[in-house]
Amino acid sequence: MITVSQRREVGEFRKRYRWMALFVVLVFGGIIIRVAQVQLFQRDRWSGIAQQNITKTLELPATRGVIRDIAGRVVATNRPSYDVYATPRLLLSEDVDRIASLMGLSEQDRAGLQTRLDELPPSRRTHQLELYSDIDREQLAALETHLAELPALDVVTVPLRDYPYATLGAHLIGYLNEVNAQDLERSPDPSTYRSGDRIGRSGLEKRYEPLLKGSRGFRRVVVDARGKALAGTRPDSLEVEMLKKPVPGHDIQLTIDMRLMEAFDRAFRPHPSGAAVVVDIHTGAVRALYSKPVYDPNEMSSGLSTKRYAELTGDPFRPLIDKTMYETYFPGSTFKVITALASLEDAVVDPMQRIECMGSMKIGRQKFRCSKRHEWVDLYDSIVQSCNVYFWELAEEVGLERITRYAEAFGFAEQTGIGVNSEAKGFLATREWYVEHYGAFRIGYTLNTAIGQGNTRVTVLQLAMANAAIANGGTLYVPQVVQNVKAPDGSLSETFEPRIRREVGVSPQHLDLMRRALHDVVQEESGTAYRARNKDGVRVAGKTGTAQVVSRKGRSEESSSAWYLDRSHGWFAGFAPAEDPQVAFAVLVEHGGSGGASAAPIATSVMQQYLSEPEPTEAE
Amino acid sequence: MAIGRTIRDDFDWPLFIAVSTIALFGVLNLYSATEGGTTSDAYVQQLYWLILGFGVAGLTVAIDYRYFERYGWVIYGACILALVLVFGLGRSVRGSTRWIALGGFSLQPSELMKIGLIIALAKYLHHDTKTGGRTLADLIIPGLILALPMGLVLLQPDLGTAMVLAFIFASVMMLTQLKMRSVVTLLATFVVAAPVTWFYLLKDYQKERITAFWDRLGGTQADILDSGWHTHQSLVAIGSGGLTGKGFTQGTQTRFRFLPDQHTDFPFPVWAEEHGFLGAVLLISLYLFLVLWSLRIASQAKDRFGAVVAVGVGAMIFWQTVVNLGMVSGLLPVVGMTLPLFSYGGSSLLSTMLGLGLLMNVSMRRFSH
Repeated sequence: MITVSQRREVGEFRKRYRWMALFVVLVFGGIIIRVAQVQLFQRDRWSGIAQQNITKTLELPATRGVIRDIAGRVVATNRPSYDVYATPRLLLSEDVDRIASLMGLSEQDRAGLQTRLDELPPSRRTHQLELYSDIDREQLAALETHLAELPALDVVTVPLRDYPYATLGAHLIGYLNEVNAQDLERSPDPSTYRSGDRIGRSGLEKRYEPLLKGSRGFRRVVVDARGKALAGTRPDSLEVEMLKKPVPGHDIQLTIDMRLMEAFDRAFRPHPSGAAVVVDIHTGAVRALYSKPVYDPNEMSSGLSTKRYAELTGDPFRPLIDKTMYETYFPGSTFKVITALASLEDAVVDPMQRIECMGSMKIGRQKFRCSKRHEWVDLYDSIVQSCNVYFWELAEEVGLERITRYAEAFGFAEQTGIGVNSEAKGFLATREWYVEHYGAFRIGYTLNTAIGQGNTRVTVLQLAMANAAIANGGTLYVPQVVQNVKAPDGSLSETFEPRIRREVGVSPQHLDLMRRALHDVVQEESGTAYRARNKDGVRVAGKTGTAQVVSRKGRSEESSSAWYLDRSHGWFAGFAPAEDPQVAFAVLVEHGGSGGASAAPIATSVMQQYLSEPEPTEAE
Repeated sequence: MAIGRTIRDDFDWPLFIAVSTIALFGVLNLYSATEGGTTSDAYVQQLYWLILGFGVAGLTVAIDYRYFERYGWVIYGACILALVLVFGLGRSVRGSTRWIALGGFSLQPSELMKIGLIIALAKYLHHDTKTGGRTLADLIIPGLILALPMGLVLLQPDLGTAMVLAFIFASVMMLTQLKMRSVVTLLATFVVAAPVTWFYLLKDYQKERITAFWDRLGGTQADILDSGWHTHQSLVAIGSGGLTGKGFTQGTQTRFRFLPDQHTDFPFPVWAEEHGFLGAVLLISLYLFLVLWSLRIASQAKDRFGAVVAVGVGAMIFWQTVVNLGMVSGLLPVVGMTLPLFSYGGSSLLSTMLGLGLLMNVSMRRFSH
């Protein structure tokens, strides 16, 4: 079959081999270049993914610092919450039904879960996603028995914030809720907060968030492509850290005494709303910051429904407002002490000089009424019996400027600097302010200011701090609520020394006179708080006050409680024990009427309990 | 015939060593890929297939290839018949019918068809008296020789094998001269045929793979969970191997089952992950050698039939290797193509060994008359 012509044709083919060989070499060369690109130049990137592929990172949440009161009683701590996480990439379609039946989900919730998973962008599908938090015991038991068949699921035990005193002190302690977009943006280190984390949203939880928080850790496990954990396997090529222990947050010890807070809570039982502050007169350490009513911090941290939020904001007793420092009130007669000191210091009055109170006073065509006819009273009597007429007479002599100046010295119309939550400044009206707002200045404004009405607004905390200065001889302190901060290992990392705002600049004998007068408000039969005294008990000194309320009629006409909401607020502010002052206080009973009848009994009974029991010591 | 004497003298050792080395690497790689899994004895089966394959190749070598030329049409016809039988007796796996059961094992006639096509084309060209430029009319008969099996394979459907058949045909026809006018006409036909193929012939999953491929080439982040997932994991395996690899049986992508079909279509990533760039280059070089060597054998062949067979077998190995490597390294879309000699699979190995037997046959009989 082989002929010469065929041999020649093979020769004709031969021309092509060279080109074919060249083509083959070029194509293989191209493949080698590609492999070199992937293996040599992109190696780190692919290695990273390979390691990510076979590791599953389980987050180890940090334990948030515990908050204790002065005696070591726990006010904010953590309890275990069982949270369900899923790695969406590993979820099989039937797993959703499985989870729904184990968790006992309604059809609607099941559909919701499906939607959530479906809407996830592909880039997030390899990351764990929190499906449910704080599941109940039954759900936990059901899931745990079937966990081996659901490799995509993890049940993680996470510490959840718990407040053993429930609502007591909630404004001060605050609450946590989920981080939002702004929190994540603000956080300097992106790993600090992740979506789903909780962040201190108010009170101390917010103020000390960086200290309380701690930092999260993680544990990595080796998994196969289906997410099954392979215990004890660790490929040599795995170069990542497998364990990082979480660092717990710092613990905080407060100056607050929860026993005192409880005593206030009991004493306030007859009244729907009010506030009380107790401070150590020698340090400014706050022993109680009590505001009633309170929201439930647990409710706040789980996120309020619009309806519930409307309920809280519509509540006439304003549970969302911290009445110790965010709300301002007329100080009423408790302010007479300031007016009296202003007069004494600038020697515009002879304290021994008596005037006659006829039960009212006429200035121009206006008639100002006193609480009763006090007959002949001097400065001391007019404090003890709270005679307005005396102070009106005095006001004309002393003038608005002096009153305002001394009020400012005692810290009014200025934030106290407590450093937790928002604090109101309060208000002291000047002559210029009256001209601007009322057209002209009239003497009546000074008269009202002298007895704590008019346009004077104070916070309960300011009044307590001013009384502390009166009791300690004229030192105005910055109120402090934190005693110390402890590192996770138990060592003290920060302590808080007393901070003096200023010396009020009032002579000791004038302060002494005031202290004696305040003593007799309670101890003398003629005193306005005589009936609230502790017979044979702790002697309490203080000034009563009854502050008029700006009529709310226009606002709450339909409300059945309108009559109540128009009643005056009752005040009692002072110190105890009277003979050797340790603490100063201010008690406000909203719509309590007369301060002597509403606020004073609360103050005296709480002081009785607090000061007759042994000094609180820290439970170790 | 003086074969008994020339076998010792003319035995093509380089060809034998290259083939044996690749096959041995393949078995080792298979052992690593399946170690500890449910198919951990696959490498033993592969060894059996390999022994069978070498036996078949030995038989093929023993018979003078001119007998294959003589019975060329019979062989081609038998392969076509087997392809037709697939539709009657075939076993369906993952939506396509490719296998027929033959006693205890299953056979893939489309694999044998590659050899059938090579022999048929060789026989046709051997008897073709033309030596100058060819017109399109001259391509009609070889075109029909291709079209019949290719059509049957596409019906299964097995896009990968159909492509290999087309590539073998094109490579072989490159040996002959085409007139410029014919080249232009062919290109024009392709331009018309491409959209028709896309809209009427390709199945949805095939289209999806191709679009995923283009998405990735174009830089748009394709959804790695769907069609791009395989390529993505393959690149992870290859890339994380680095220069020297993670070591034998130490590939994490392999051991933790991130590679799809790791012992059939994706054995190269397993190899590259464990043996690194150096191992990858060694393996690719062996294939390069094999293809170049087949061209050398073709150039030394004593007749047209031998030359076409050598080029056809070389083309078969070349295109499968290139498509497989291109696919696993993300240069080509995932089409489902085995790496010859290296992938697990009896039929594929058998047809490859059959082809290599023919190659050795041509090589050893280049001088004998």
